[in-house]
Amino acid sequence: MMKSVPPAKTDVSRSRWRDQVGDLFERWSFLMPSILVLTVMLAYPIFYTIEISFASFDIATFGAGEWIGWANYEEVIGDYRFWDSLQVTLIYLVIALPLQVTLGFGIAFLINAEWWGRSALRALFIIPMVVAPVVAGGMWRMILDPLWGIMNYWMGLAGISSLDWFGDPKLAMAAIIIIDTWRWTPFIVLIATAALLALPKDVFEAAKIDGANWWSTLWSVAVPLLVPIIAATFVIRWLGAVKMFDIVLAATYGGPGKATNIINLFIYEEAFRSLRFAESAAMAVIVLVLTMVLTGIFLRGSRKLEELF
Amino acid sequence: MEGMEKKTSAGRRFVLKGVAGSLILAVMPLAAANAEGGLGATGNPVEVKIMANEAFANSWQTILVPEFNKAFPNVKVRIDGVPYTELLAKMMLDATSPQPEYDILLADDPWVPQLAQIGALKDLKSDEISAMTDKGYDWDDFNAAPLAAGEWNGKQYAVPVRSNMLLMFYNRALYEKAGVPEPTPQITWDQFFANAPKLVQDTNGDGKPDSWAIDTYFVREPLTPTIWQSILNSNGGALLDASGAPAFANQVGSKSLEMHKRLLEFAPPGALGHGFSESLQAFRQGIVANMITWGSVYKATAVDKQSTTLTVEDVGVQVLPVGSTSAGTHRGIWIAGVSSKTEKLDASWAFVQWLTSKQGESINASMVGSFPARKSTLASEPSEAWLKPIYKTLQNAYDVAATGKMWRIRNPKSDAAQQILADEIARGLAGQASPEEALKTAAGKIAKVLK
Repeated sequence: MMKSVPPAKTDVSRSRWRDQVGDLFERWSFLMPSILVLTVMLAYPIFYTIEISFASFDIATFGAGEWIGWANYEEVIGDYRFWDSLQVTLIYLVIALPLQVTLGFGIAFLINAEWWGRSALRALFIIPMVVAPVVAGGMWRMILDPLWGIMNYWMGLAGISSLDWFGDPKLAMAAIIIIDTWRWTPFIVLIATAALLALPKDVFEAAKIDGANWWSTLWSVAVPLLVPIIAATFVIRWLGAVKMFDIVLAATYGGPGKATNIINLFIYEEAFRSLRFAESAAMAVIVLVLTMVLTGIFLRGSRKLEELF
Repeated sequence: MEGMEKKTSAGRRFVLKGVAGSLILAVMPLAAANAEGGLGATGNPVEVKIMANEAFANSWQTILVPEFNKAFPNVKVRIDGVPYTELLAKMMLDATSPQPEYDILLADDPWVPQLAQIGALKDLKSDEISAMTDKGYDWDDFNAAPLAAGEWNGKQYAVPVRSNMLLMFYNRALYEKAGVPEPTPQITWDQFFANAPKLVQDTNGDGKPDSWAIDTYFVREPLTPTIWQSILNSNGGALLDASGAPAFANQVGSKSLEMHKRLLEFAPPGALGHGFSESLQAFRQGIVANMITWGSVYKATAVDKQSTTLTVEDVGVQVLPVGSTSAGTHRGIWIAGVSSKTEKLDASWAFVQWLTSKQGESINASMVGSFPARKSTLASEPSEAWLKPIYKTLQNAYDVAATGKMWRIRNPKSDAAQQILADEIARGLAGQASPEEALKTAAGKIAKVLK
């Protein structure tokens, strides 16, 4: 009888090593295209922006010139317009985000009941989402125009006097929030509807048996169960809202005065109208850092809420 | 009646064709003389590429280029249109590349210093180009104001190809209804403001005003300060002093901004958000008696049946009212320059030279409707009768602009300065800052930017 010879120890380790290398190669070969695309499309522009923000912009080469340290950042921090734009952006975010999340979940809860038109209504809700932001801004500019718009006409029929939507600073901000809310609330309604449908039915049945009314069911059962979803939706919407630009450009041009001059519009104007690319890059980096910090805080808060509920 | 109109239209077309034909024959010797060298040859044409504003690139390509090719058949011209907001950045990006794609750059009024500073443009009066220039090309025939748009630091980098001036349009019917005499170029701002309340009218008798005295730029955008600047210049003020430092943060500047803001009292509801389109729309609909805007819209405001119900008889046009020193206006000229890196200098200059020659300018004016910059063209009989009063007003506006230096800041950083003015004038108009505060802030920032 022939005795099988066990493979030498070195052969086994060599084969295992070969397998490991092959496995690694395979994984990286799948990852490489994405890494390459991300590097070219995302990392390079970010590093380029950071480079420009620390240099004088050489218009003759259209690139970073002399290294000037923090001078662009000092210039930006000393510009009252930058702070005003941040303040305007903050006002918009503080009002628009809670409004949209509350409205979105509220509407979802209301239309969650079984009725014949539910599917059609859900489909209609998608329409504002597919309208391009610039088109939405332009369209609402026509609707709200004090001279030609239909909104003031309708308000007149109801006995309400005309409003100067784009001439009054507060109304102009309200107009931006209305347009943005019109466009984005349906997105939250869709998420909230899916979340509501996924909630365990037995909990609601138990609440019903215990005699909970509509309000108690909403406040003590549905909302606690939905808190993690609400938090996650808030973070998703936040990431979209900080990019706000096109609607303002199409509806108010940042006016009247500086009333709706949000930070992204200000950065765009400084870069492409004033050709102050270095200062704009510094602003963009500051906004990027602020956004990352706030997003981190929101994500942490969202995780805490998930643990709590 | 209809037959008569057709006959008149056919006759006009015949005259136009005749004029165009004779002008082409007139430039034929120039074409023949240059048929050799860089102007291509039969079967071996040379191609010239132009970067232009998309607003008129297409009409130039389809109307002007074939006319040019009658004189220069072996020079192919391709005009690429770019949206206005991206035009300067793209122009500079192309000009700074080692091998630019474009041979001719069609730039807006304030851009020549930026383009000249990066060495993007040839000096059109240099010995090199003078040697290629036709002897009959008359530089002195250009009005000083439009020609100055292409000049910087003593060199002529570009030539006017599509001139425009800020003018005041008025609706004769609304003046008559209000019982107010029509304005004249001598009307002062005080007289204008005295008449303004009467021009806010209830024309349909429902007890509410439905017609207002004025509409113009009030919105937050870079062209809005041109209205304030026109008033400032007419009051004897200037943007910069002789040393290049801001000179507008003073009593004259504040008074002029107050006047710009006061116009809002007689403007339609929501006018604080109005700019070019909204004011034009309001005027065309016959709901404002006056509109301050660019003269080039006259055709679309009073002539083109497809875009307006107003007629030439309804619409008057003149320079802005007189301030404490003169009438007001503001220059807005499109100018053509030749790329300093072009390898097709002969052909590029041939096109620019043809387009800005007396003949080319006449063709451009009669076939495309571009406003001319040459004194001889403005003094000649225009191809259309409605152009006659326009040319007279335009000549007046050029003279007023040249005397009062009524144009934007001439500096490589002029766009940044204009954006600062846009921000601060908008704050002043919206009442978010007093005129003094807004202008003081603007002056400080502009001084820093221009340093």
